[in-house]
Amino acid sequence: MAEVTLKNLTKRWGDFIGVDNQSLEIHDKEFLVLLGPSGCGKTTTMRMIAGLEDPTDGEIRIGDRVVNDDLPRDRDVAMVFQNYGLYPHMTIFDNIAYPLRVRGTPKNEIEPRVRKAAEQVELTEFLHRKPKALSGGQRQRVALARAIVRTPKVFLMDEPLSNLDAKLRVTMRAELKHLSRALKITTIYVTHDQIEAMTLADRVAVMKNGIIQQLGTPDEIYNDPANLFVAGFIGSPAMNLINGSVQDGHFVTTGGTKLVRVAAPDSPSVVLGVRADDMRVAEEGEGDLDVRIYAFENTGEATLLTVQWGKQRVIAKGDRHLRKDQDDIVSVSLDSDHLYLFDPETGDRIKR
Amino acid sequence: MTTSPTSDQQNSGRRSGITGKQKKRISWALQSFLILIAIIIMLTPIVWIFMAAFKTHVDVYQLKLFFTPTLENFGLVFDAPYYLGDKLLNSTIVAFVTVVFAIPIATMAAYSFSRFELRGETAMLVIILATQFVPAVVIILPFFVMFRDIGLLDTRLGLILVNLAIVMPFAIWMIKGFIDGIPMETEEAAMVDGSSRIQVIRNIVLPMAAPGLLTAGIFCFIIAWNEFLFALILTNKDAVTLPIGLALFKAEEGDLWNLLSAAGIIIMLPMFVLALIIRKYFVQGMTMGAVR
Repeated sequence: MAEVTLKNLTKRWGDFIGVDNQSLEIHDKEFLVLLGPSGCGKTTTMRMIAGLEDPTDGEIRIGDRVVNDDLPRDRDVAMVFQNYGLYPHMTIFDNIAYPLRVRGTPKNEIEPRVRKAAEQVELTEFLHRKPKALSGGQRQRVALARAIVRTPKVFLMDEPLSNLDAKLRVTMRAELKHLSRALKITTIYVTHDQIEAMTLADRVAVMKNGIIQQLGTPDEIYNDPANLFVAGFIGSPAMNLINGSVQDGHFVTTGGTKLVRVAAPDSPSVVLGVRADDMRVAEEGEGDLDVRIYAFENTGEATLLTVQWGKQRVIAKGDRHLRKDQDDIVSVSLDSDHLYLFDPETGDRIKR
Repeated sequence: MTTSPTSDQQNSGRRSGITGKQKKRISWALQSFLILIAIIIMLTPIVWIFMAAFKTHVDVYQLKLFFTPTLENFGLVFDAPYYLGDKLLNSTIVAFVTVVFAIPIATMAAYSFSRFELRGETAMLVIILATQFVPAVVIILPFFVMFRDIGLLDTRLGLILVNLAIVMPFAIWMIKGFIDGIPMETEEAAMVDGSSRIQVIRNIVLPMAAPGLLTAGIFCFIIAWNEFLFALILTNKDAVTLPIGLALFKAEEGDLWNLLSAAGIIIMLPMFVLALIIRKYFVQGMTMGAVR
């Protein structure tokens, strides 16, 4: 068990920059999620930690040891791949036993350890089968068992759930969380799915274009986004980003309606961020601003109202018993405690 | 006129010409006919040889389908003056040793081409492939002169070297195809799990590519076994192989078709066996890459 430290890590392929001079400290026993859209450098970062990719520049430490020049096998990490990376010619037992065998574990220890790992992922009845005979979820469990059969310093998981169907992903996510809490081993987890990041992580590093945009707990990145990118990336539905200005301490829409009090200096151009949850929906005339409903969606647990806000469309979450129709007029109010202002030029948060 | 509705329907059905079902039947008949023709064209010589090999010298010139079969031809070809046994031994050694060297070397080359970024990789691959298109007749003279100077004429070693040159490009390309089909993630998983590169190759790549290696090996064996032109020019007595040995049966008394056929069967028999093996693994090898 160990912390992982990245210092000024850079990966370039010719002119293309995969990871741009990033530093990151991952604590012992921490579950850190690297989150971002595809091509943001999250997988590259993980592959450099695993030793499958050589950094162009910078330093990688696992524990006290600089591992830049170590082969993958000498780094004492275990990795779970998106496509499982199972050995199709071996049985499940042999798949799980492989890391032990290749590292010269005494023969009499192998069987009980494989059984224990298989038990932890509920695979005991399939040990004699080949990967071909298993479903996607079972294959991913095999990959997990192969990772936990040893006690490595660090777990690396590269989008392990993204090949599973939606329902299975939710159950596997819970199993993964349960397992990681039980094992207490430093874990680095790569995903583009913000729900996975929110639910699994101790801390999340949101990445874009090879740069970490924000590093924080799920609470922090959800409730205190550092910039427009993080604000727009985290949350479902995505945070509403409304153009306007600040005049006399109030947010004013591009249409000229003075709306809500904000604690920010006057500015001719700002972006107001507000989550659908933080907008109250009321009958016409009873809120801050009357708007026309563009679409009304009932998800069962809540209602989503897409409303026409000047030239923009904004999503508000309503009570699950609310019933409205397209083109109805409703009134929305903003909760002034949960508003975020951003500089439209730099994308940075304007803190109060 | 009073006709029942049923016969009306039947009439209209007949009038509308060929139905879909009939079309299918006609196309099936046509296909079967073409396949039958192809089979007859391809198999007739082989059937002829099979019969001739069991006929006596007298019977062989008559197109008799029924005759008293004899095994004496198979005895004769191994005796003086033909000694087909020597040629069989030469062919076996040359083809076998060729495969034993070609497959490991080709596997290493194919792995490198498949997994590493090499300088001038494309150029090398194209050049390797291009050697396949050089007509053998063009390079046979330099080979002859070279082998004469270093004393490799009429030796098995010489033939093995030539056959290696012939099969290697083919083997490299074929095995590369199989290794390309192995997902990179599988190898990476093995490396993270604790294997060295050599262990990855031995424990993961070779078993997964095994059907491909076997297929490539059998193809190489067949090519080396059937190789004629180089063996014809570069051997004359000691290292003569089976295909060249066939020429022995062109004697003063005419072509000894019955002996020629017996020798032909001896050449073909291993090919049939190998074809049976290859059929099973070829399909398996093709789908191996799809394992995810």
